[in-house]
Amino acid sequence: MVHALEEIIHLIKPDGCLIDIHPVREAPLIKVHQGGDLLFTESDPGYDYDEGLQHADKALEEAVLRGLYRIEGKAEFELVTYASSVYEMRDYWAKYSAFDDEPKDEAITTRQNDVYAQTDKIMQNASGAEITYHERARITRLKPNASYKKEQ
Amino acid sequence: MTIRVDPGNNEPRALFDLGDFNGQRVLEIGCGDGRLTWRYADKAVHVTAIDPFEGSITQAKENTPNELKGRVEFHHAAFEDFAAASEPSTFDMAILSWSLC
Repeated sequence: MVHALEEIIHLIKPDGCLIDIHPVREAPLIKVHQGGDLLFTESDPGYDYDEGLQHADKALEEAVLRGLYRIEGKAEFELVTYASSVYEMRDYWAKYSAFDDEPKDEAITTRQNDVYAQTDKIMQNASGAEITYHERARITRLKPNASYKKEQ
Repeated sequence: MTIRVDPGNNEPRALFDLGDFNGQRVLEIGCGDGRLTWRYADKAVHVTAIDPFEGSITQAKENTPNELKGRVEFHHAAFEDFAAASEPSTFDMAILSWSLC
């Protein structure tokens, strides 16, 4: 992963920059709203701060420690996805994870199914309700270290 | 209703707070179906967007708004292969779009 960050240095101009966006450690929230009222909120039991994300955090730290980049700025934001039904939301995420060949943990899948079943029940009894999925992400601006780039 | 992702524009707002895209040559790594690409591409002079999943790139190409055709190029490529075949110091800005993992 640090290798990828080294490769990026070659591709960007000396005065260029790298912007990284990746999810933070906390599990996304599933919420149900009706009008202005919040009817339900639960964290997604299917979320996994997995090895990949841990490596991403470590790779950025290591790239800075090794002097490849310096951090020029960072922030966090929330990405919210809206759907009108649980089916629609799950179908959307299924398409997104269609390329994920990691085996799913059965217990986690069961808990996730339970949360979505609970969500669906609430929505069935709340006309016009909307389901939202809230993910937090960190965005970081990194500047290549000029001296490192010259050494290459 | 169809799925709406980030209708409040939180992601592009955070992006624009950290980067000025005006006149920039941008490389986006992990562009997926172009969801984020469309939000900033009109400001950049040129965008090269890559993703290792062919289905996503096909979708991104199909959904390219007319006004951005000619300014945005999508490539089905793994980053390592793309980097090996690219000239050095080509881009003003690179974006790792939810892809560093």
